[in-house]
Amino acid sequence: MTADHNREWRESLGAYALGHLSDEERAGLEAHLEGCADCRAELESLSAVGRLLPLADPEQLGTPPALPRDLGDRVMASIAGERRQSRRRRFRFGFALSGATAAIAAAAILAIFILPGGGEEAPSQEVAFASLPPKMQIGARLEPRPFGTELHVYVSGVRSGELCRVFLESKNGNRLSAGSFRYRWGGEDSQATLSSGLDLARTKAIGIRVGDRTFVESVDGGGEAS
Amino acid sequence: MASGALTREQDVREAYSAHGSELYGFAVRSLGDAGLAEEAVQETFVRAWRAGERFDPQIGSLRTWLFAILRNVVIDLGRARAARPGVAEGGIEPSVEPLNEVLLSWQVEEALRRIGEDHRRVIVESFYRGRPYAEIAEELGVPEGTVKSRVYYGLRALRVALEETGYDG
Repeated sequence: MTADHNREWRESLGAYALGHLSDEERAGLEAHLEGCADCRAELESLSAVGRLLPLADPEQLGTPPALPRDLGDRVMASIAGERRQSRRRRFRFGFALSGATAAIAAAAILAIFILPGGGEEAPSQEVAFASLPPKMQIGARLEPRPFGTELHVYVSGVRSGELCRVFLESKNGNRLSAGSFRYRWGGEDSQATLSSGLDLARTKAIGIRVGDRTFVESVDGGGEAS
Repeated sequence: MASGALTREQDVREAYSAHGSELYGFAVRSLGDAGLAEEAVQETFVRAWRAGERFDPQIGSLRTWLFAILRNVVIDLGRARAARPGVAEGGIEPSVEPLNEVLLSWQVEEALRRIGEDHRRVIVESFYRGRPYAEIAEELGVPEGTVKSRVYYGLRALRVALEETGYDG
């Protein structure tokens, strides 16, 4: 059998897989397939592709939807937010390893400058909730204000309309409500701005009750897993 | 530290310009809602960034990896949607087709978009429109044997393109 002849059979395999050959052509090709393992293997593979074709809608083959112009900026803004958080985690990790002397010195600075007055000297905090169900995300940014703490809380992956109640836990274990919001799916902005009278420097943890579940994450950097 | 492909912001920017459009197309087709699709793409890159150091280009392409992440995001969004009662406030109820089927449909459609025009045309005309090869050959001004061989090479190209869209069946 010549190479050309072989190629002719081979190039009929697609039409055969799709059921497009005449009876005569089919009979001829089937006789060839009996003795050609390569063509049999190729046919099997092409038939698998052919079986997927009915899943596609040929009307959908036109131009795909255009990428929204500002989506790239939003992606990069999310990444920048993530990077700030991971830097903070790295910093905390480094701090933990940096030896007793540095730790004591830093603790002394904290005690002198932050603990007595609290309030605005505390650095703002980014908190990413670590132990959450797979589809859920909660994050918060806490900023020191003269009145206490301003909270920017964002959630995703919860039911639309779900009531989210936020509280701060002080270093002496008291829980103070920081207000509530409802998560609306598809809203322009899933971030809520809340406020609390508790100074950020006196805040140990932030908690959020979503429906009947409560999630708590530490704020002071001491308890967060990196 | 492993040298992953997504450890710098520049890597994300490049990944987005190379694959953002396709990922978005997939998300729109799967979710049937442009707003949710945008959320899904954003979430995909955030998850990719978080896992950036674990990405190993020697195991698979960045594109395949991003698609695998997006697929999970779409499934998560689909689950959240299934759990949500009623219609979203102020929104249009998104597509409710079974998710896996839509994912597969998109993969086949995307693969068809990716193969050459000559190949796509003969597959669309013969398979989807059920037109005889002779008629297609006449319209294209080529011998009937050429139509037949284009169907063959078209299916082969489709097989490769399907793998690129993450189809692993």
